[in-house]
Amino acid sequence: MALPVAESLHVQQLLELLAVVTSLPDEESAVQGAAERAAQALEAEVGAVLFGDRVGAAIGFPAGTVPVADLRAVADGGRDWLDVPGLDRCRAFAAGWGGTHPGHLIIARWDEAPFAAEERGLIRGMARLLELTLTTLRTLRAEQAMRERSELQAVENARLAESLREQQRLLIHVSDIQRAISRRDPLQQILETITVAAADLFGDDVVGLWVRDRDDPDRARLLSAVGLPTAHLPAMPLDATGAVGEAMRQGDVVLVAGYGHASPAIRDLTGDRLCASMAAPVHENGAVVGGLLVASYEPLRSYTLHDQQKLGAFAQNVSLALTDAHTLDKVNRAARDTLTGLAGRGPFLEQLTEHLAAGRPAALLFIDLDRFKPINDTFGHAAGDHLLVTTAARIRAELRDADLAGRLGGDEFAVMLRGVTKLDEAIGVAQRMVRRIGRPVDLTGHTGHTVTVDASIGIALSSDARDATELMHHADVTMYDAKRRGRGGYQVFSRQLLDATDARLFKPFEA
Amino acid sequence: MSAGATGRRWLAVGRSDSPDTRTAAATATRSAMTGPEPKLVIVFSAITHDPAAVLDGVRQVAAGVPVVGCTTHGEIGPGGPTDGTVMVAALGGPGITVTTAVAEAVAGRQREAGAEVARCAEPLADQPHRVLMLLTDGFVRDQESILRGVYSVLGAGVPLFGGASADGWRMTGSHLFAGDRVLSDAVVAVAIASEAPLAVGVRHGYRKVGDAMIVTSSGGGRIQTLDDRPALDAYLDRLGAPREAYTDVEAFRDFALLHPLGVQRRSGVEARNLSTEIDLEGRTLGGGSAIDHGALTWPMIGDETSILEATDGACEAAISGLGGPEPVGLLTFSCAAIRATLGDDGIRREGERLEKWAGGVPFAGFYTYGEIARTRGIDGFHNQTLAVLAVA
Repeated sequence: MALPVAESLHVQQLLELLAVVTSLPDEESAVQGAAERAAQALEAEVGAVLFGDRVGAAIGFPAGTVPVADLRAVADGGRDWLDVPGLDRCRAFAAGWGGTHPGHLIIARWDEAPFAAEERGLIRGMARLLELTLTTLRTLRAEQAMRERSELQAVENARLAESLREQQRLLIHVSDIQRAISRRDPLQQILETITVAAADLFGDDVVGLWVRDRDDPDRARLLSAVGLPTAHLPAMPLDATGAVGEAMRQGDVVLVAGYGHASPAIRDLTGDRLCASMAAPVHENGAVVGGLLVASYEPLRSYTLHDQQKLGAFAQNVSLALTDAHTLDKVNRAARDTLTGLAGRGPFLEQLTEHLAAGRPAALLFIDLDRFKPINDTFGHAAGDHLLVTTAARIRAELRDADLAGRLGGDEFAVMLRGVTKLDEAIGVAQRMVRRIGRPVDLTGHTGHTVTVDASIGIALSSDARDATELMHHADVTMYDAKRRGRGGYQVFSRQLLDATDARLFKPFEA
Repeated sequence: MSAGATGRRWLAVGRSDSPDTRTAAATATRSAMTGPEPKLVIVFSAITHDPAAVLDGVRQVAAGVPVVGCTTHGEIGPGGPTDGTVMVAALGGPGITVTTAVAEAVAGRQREAGAEVARCAEPLADQPHRVLMLLTDGFVRDQESILRGVYSVLGAGVPLFGGASADGWRMTGSHLFAGDRVLSDAVVAVAIASEAPLAVGVRHGYRKVGDAMIVTSSGGGRIQTLDDRPALDAYLDRLGAPREAYTDVEAFRDFALLHPLGVQRRSGVEARNLSTEIDLEGRTLGGGSAIDHGALTWPMIGDETSILEATDGACEAAISGLGGPEPVGLLTFSCAAIRATLGDDGIRREGERLEKWAGGVPFAGFYTYGEIARTRGIDGFHNQTLAVLAVA
């Protein structure tokens, strides 16, 4: 993944703000520092922080002339401009936060163009960080007061130190994510950096980064996780994903406690042990594109307001990092098939091409279900979908981690066996696959029936092909040959088979 | 020596290379005081002159006119840059109004000092065009905080322009002039209001080398590590610096002068001078105001071509910023580090370039230890740049 480093500018700016505000000793200086740093990052003339009608900080106006009502109007969303003495009208944008001490960060810039989507995302991220910092400072202050009154000084000192360490950890982790992007780490590694960071920040059993499916916005896919299996997991309906789906729907941090009524999918994923979870939306250019989940198997785990703010701030950072790197765009381009969770046709061909172009060998299996269409037509699409999902799972069950399975469309599948150069090895896989796919499939939930479908498989080796396209063609014609010879079997590619096929296809018309 | 005027506003400059300080100052001032109603005298004096004698000489000629100024690392004006001279610019005419202010004991209270001097611009709030010119002591750290203090009083509506005093590379201390006083650790502010436009331009001529290095640890205004390595070594390694730059302060300074550190900003990369706060023992880097954890940085290089392009860019921005009226004169503050990069021949060609842009109207300035130019956003303190004020 090649990313121009400058693309991580917004994460850098957020980090700089975080570094500045966390180094300031009290609320007043943190608010002033945030207003200045936010204005600086956006090269804006005005930076202001408003708590209700009280101005926490405002720069850009001559002393004594801060237009509180105008700032309030921007915070309320009633206008998107400010008049700044000595300048023409400035474009303005406000990002707010709720909780017990709600406020707004307001930025105005002397520019004809409005703030770009990623700049609005940056301002939202900064507002989140300011909220988090202010909460920490208030907690510290309260603890300080308690400590002075209490005999439990040692305990309070420890808590004090822990709060500071948490802030520092957040900074370090966001920095790690930024560096992963700047270093051009592989996409999956960046995503794992994010989930591992969240696991460290919250210390919970489960962390999951979900992304909304581009083709079906009511579904989400688990891209990276700690404590959950991600391999080959299909996209799930938002309803079935619990807190993360709700966070994506509400566009805010969501808590879920008690999983007695969790979806079967969640129960399966977590071994029915989930006790509490919290999720925050992940944005790209202002739109919710995913969610970050932390969850616990501890019966007594509950998430505090501070936890919620921390997750919100971290998710906002993740949003910026992903947006800066166009990461989600790359995820979508590498999309898996929505239904089965296998690689889609495009990504499968891309990976096959890359593998062969690197001079590495492979065997290719081209798989087609026999009699799928009549079952789909007879029992309906839901039954057909279930059959395809079951087939995909059975194909995967025969593969090593290094292999790649894809759904090419309809009931056609393909498998790349990386590094396989011997026919015997490929044949062994195909034989097991034919047997496994041919087992009965329970469709009673859909039709009241159990059905059986067979698979026809064509096998080809990369040593017989010049490139991925030719290898796919070889496996394809071989699969049709297998189908011609009777269902539920496999065939191996040969040059004669190709010639015969070509002869059939290109037989000249006879006069 | 050289004068530009519209009838209601004028700017004129004079220079003297007389070895006698009072004579030099008086001669230069006399050459500059050419118009009616002089409102301000700005003095740029070589560090080799006795500053008190400079003021004496100036005030002999310009009695009753506000005097501001500073010592330099070279004086800029028509005919090319010089060392060892006294350069004077005078500004006046009925269309111009000037107020001045001074803050002393600035170190440690930069922001407060900035807010104090900025108040001198408040009485001129009803004037159509204003700029606040600041002359600061180049040996005071965290100059950006001075500008933050100014901004807190004036807001975004008043452009800032100025420079930090220099001492001819002696690194022992520089001086500011304010009225009849010679000051150090001070800020001198001049609010200039005019019935005609005033415009500021600023550019640097350096480009990035290689991939970004991330600030992985910083504090106390210094960068501790870049990409988790001691910052000083990471910086020198990237540029293939000579071995002595790793261990010798002078060698590091010479090298760093030519290789600023670029810091990513929204509209481009800002150049920071690393040559004044050297820490060979701790292996850290200091570049003026703080560069924070997480910042993307690059070592930078420049050459005569790229720097002279920046000269063109700064002049063009200032002159076109007037919005049509012709300038009556320019103030041109160029970084001492640019002088190091260009060499003596190079700064002569920089002077020729300035002369071309001035188009016959006078210009004056000096080689600084930092330039001030703010028209957009809140930042305004620069390194390695040319800052230009065009007066219409």
